[in-house]
Amino acid sequence: MGHSDPALLGITAHAGAAAEPAHDGGDDIHRRIGQLTRTLHDALRELGYDRPLMDARDNLPDARDRLAYIARVTGEAAEKVLNAVDQARTVQQELSQHAVSLRTRWRTVGSYTSGGKAATPAGKQLIDETCDFFSAVDDQADRTNTILTDIMMAQDFHDLTGQVIRRVLEMAKSLEEQLLRLLIETTPPDQRARIEPPALEGPVVAAEGREDVVTDQKGVDDLLATLGF
Amino acid sequence: MNADPRFLIVDDFSTMRRIIRNLLKEIGFANAEEAEDGAVALNMLKASRFDFVVSDINMPNMNGFELLKNAKADESLKSIPFLMVTAEAKKDDIVQAAQGGASGYIVKPFTKATLEEKVQKIMTKLS
Repeated sequence: MGHSDPALLGITAHAGAAAEPAHDGGDDIHRRIGQLTRTLHDALRELGYDRPLMDARDNLPDARDRLAYIARVTGEAAEKVLNAVDQARTVQQELSQHAVSLRTRWRTVGSYTSGGKAATPAGKQLIDETCDFFSAVDDQADRTNTILTDIMMAQDFHDLTGQVIRRVLEMAKSLEEQLLRLLIETTPPDQRARIEPPALEGPVVAAEGREDVVTDQKGVDDLLATLGF
Repeated sequence: MNADPRFLIVDDFSTMRRIIRNLLKEIGFANAEEAEDGAVALNMLKASRFDFVVSDINMPNMNGFELLKNAKADESLKSIPFLMVTAEAKKDDIVQAAQGGASGYIVKPFTKATLEEKVQKIMTKLS
């Protein structure tokens, strides 16, 4: 391609003009940006790119709902784990306290028998082994508590992933608004009514305000009951 | 510092509030209340006595920096130590927290040992 190519010359000429300082000031720059935007809008419409734009815009609310659903469900899962950890801690604490109490009592018995009263070798050995076992129970309860703390700490994933999801949601909302604005600007007024979000099929992640879905098993059972099941 | 210091845990995620509360209990501080954002926390701080605040930074309504700023500007609250606990590891944020009067800064995810170390360090400095 030589320098005589009119297209190339045209581009070069525009680039040269853009590189020059705007002698007319800010108004000229705004006018030129406006022209470029209008040209872009016209090109999008003529090339049929308004449809992919509309699809992208239509899918964003669904994507946002799904992300919010993930945040909610993972949050509920983390809470369930924390509840289970609390319950397990209580069980471990009771076990530990009981073991300590029994060990103390068996040591008293051990002291009594070591004084030569009612002590057979087998009985003394049984007392010692029982005391050791209760000590081990207490130690193991401590180790289990450490593991439970690790399990509890691992639930911080909900906070960390939740913050990321929240930012993505904000970004998706902003993108959706910009796409909608662009779509409205590129769509002839008489066709703007067709810019409606579609009803997508799939798991219901945002049931609020919808009468066409049930949100839990009770809803399913109630519906089935009305149908005679 | 009070023998049984009263903590205020501020975080918009209930999971994290619960984790911090349980950890504080494990390290010997069972006296704790929770707030879901800075605005709620500020009202709680003004309504009753607290000895220590463990606060997230990114929260709706009022973030941790704004809470810190408001508390430090209030004569009755400015002596309460603030430990900032956040997923943000940006240097600017750490500097802003320090300049705003925070006593410590922990980046999530953190360990029980880290929380204990920071809390004890602040307690020791104040006593």
